[in-house]
Amino acid sequence: MRKFREVAIAGVGLTRFDSYDGKKGRPLKEFYDLGSEAIREALKNAEMSWSEIQTAFCGSVYCGTASGQQTIERVGMTGIPIINVENACSSGSSVFRLAYQSVGLELYDVAIAVGFETMPKGFIKSTAWPEWQRMMGFNVQPADYAMETVRYMEEYGATVEDFASVTVKNRKNGALNPLAKFQSPVTMEEVLSSRLVASPLRLLHACPLADGGAAVILCSKDRLKTKSRMVTVAASVLTSGTHGHAKGGGSVRIHTPSNVEISVRQAWDESGYGPEDMDVVQAYDTMASGELWDLEKMGFCQRGEAPRLLREGVFDITGKLPVNTDGGLMSRGHPLGATALAQIIEIYKQIRGEAGPRQVSGARTGLAHVMGAGSNSGIVILKR
Amino acid sequence: MDTTPKKIPLREGLWTTTASPEGAPRLLGSRCLSCGEIFFPQRSQNLCSYCQQSNFEEITLSPRGKIYSFTVVMQRPPVYYHGEVPYAIGYVELPEGVRIETLFSVDDTEKLKIGMDVELVIEKLHQDEDGNEILTYKFKPFAR
Repeated sequence: MRKFREVAIAGVGLTRFDSYDGKKGRPLKEFYDLGSEAIREALKNAEMSWSEIQTAFCGSVYCGTASGQQTIERVGMTGIPIINVENACSSGSSVFRLAYQSVGLELYDVAIAVGFETMPKGFIKSTAWPEWQRMMGFNVQPADYAMETVRYMEEYGATVEDFASVTVKNRKNGALNPLAKFQSPVTMEEVLSSRLVASPLRLLHACPLADGGAAVILCSKDRLKTKSRMVTVAASVLTSGTHGHAKGGGSVRIHTPSNVEISVRQAWDESGYGPEDMDVVQAYDTMASGELWDLEKMGFCQRGEAPRLLREGVFDITGKLPVNTDGGLMSRGHPLGATALAQIIEIYKQIRGEAGPRQVSGARTGLAHVMGAGSNSGIVILKR
Repeated sequence: MDTTPKKIPLREGLWTTTASPEGAPRLLGSRCLSCGEIFFPQRSQNLCSYCQQSNFEEITLSPRGKIYSFTVVMQRPPVYYHGEVPYAIGYVELPEGVRIETLFSVDDTEKLKIGMDVELVIEKLHQDEDGNEILTYKFKPFAR
């Protein structure tokens, strides 16, 4: 293993996630507007100029060719390498990891990870399935979650009310986040009376789509303008699926650790931490039920135990293990390329003590987990 | 020119009707001769994603299995799907040890349950713009 130096976060930038479609009085913004807005804020936050950035990794899913160049052209053209990354919903975590590695391995001293997206409307027109499977109606992401949800209910006795409670908690947190798409709480009744999307999951069990941009500048410690409340990266891992866990069905015969289990094990190995060391967690709540089994698969509790802990308030901002303190995907909305960086930025703000009304008291460590089609699992651990 | 509407399989190679004398449909799969893992659809041109060997035999799969999981999709997915909405999809576990993603042919989706006995049917998926019936495989509940 090559020598790997400590990597710090110099600054972050995040737009509000929202619809920027120019309709009904909403502003019209393209992905490059949102991405460059996030970059400008990250530069200001880091007290850096664009000329200090030595390499850029840009994550998006639906923005097409050279989306990173189109974005960065708006803040400076300095000839640096710009790499565009499409890695489904894990794109943001993937570009963070590439920036982290390039600084850690001393290829560069200052790198930026950028994520942006202007989303198509409705169900995501994903090409992550072969065409004949799309023609059979399999390309419905909420349906994939619904099928795993039905199994989860059968095996552990979880209920639709448990999943609604995830939405209620996250929307309550989102009401404290001025950058969330949804900044109003919802009740259990509202979730359970929203329309069915893929049984048993309803519209308010699903995160909303959104447009948005996010940027994180990573650097060697000597490039930081100030070391006050310095945040460093304790781990950044990315894994893909394993044979025993093929999409949805998986193998009957082969029992291997899942993608999430492998990635979290690597994250603990890399950081030297364990689940008991995390002060705040951003779990992957693209569908409400997913947050519960995600926490279980990552080892924060036993399988089937998360619904009870949720009811007991363990995952509240004031609880023992606050989860999705910024409202998660459920409130923030889901611009695919930007989502994972927004999760990482929330951890950064929490452990810097800059999370305002949703601040977790005394947070020094935190973990962000994202999943993506394919499958992908990305985990980032930050520490102060 | 023959303009009679035809029955056209969604995709060649997913099932066969010549495996039994009665012409009953059977899904076509692959068995890895190195590790025994079974795949649907066939992956004979590829490596086994478990043991990474390329040593497959073509097999026909059991037409009966049990529901592993399911959901009823209430909203039309974009572009590609032209069948009825709502529609039920899920995974069926076959006795030889493979789970298959499938549409369900069912009058009352409320009756779907994990563990329910289902059998293979070939049915209409949708009608194309020329009036041809596009056929696909589905699984249908049956009473034992």
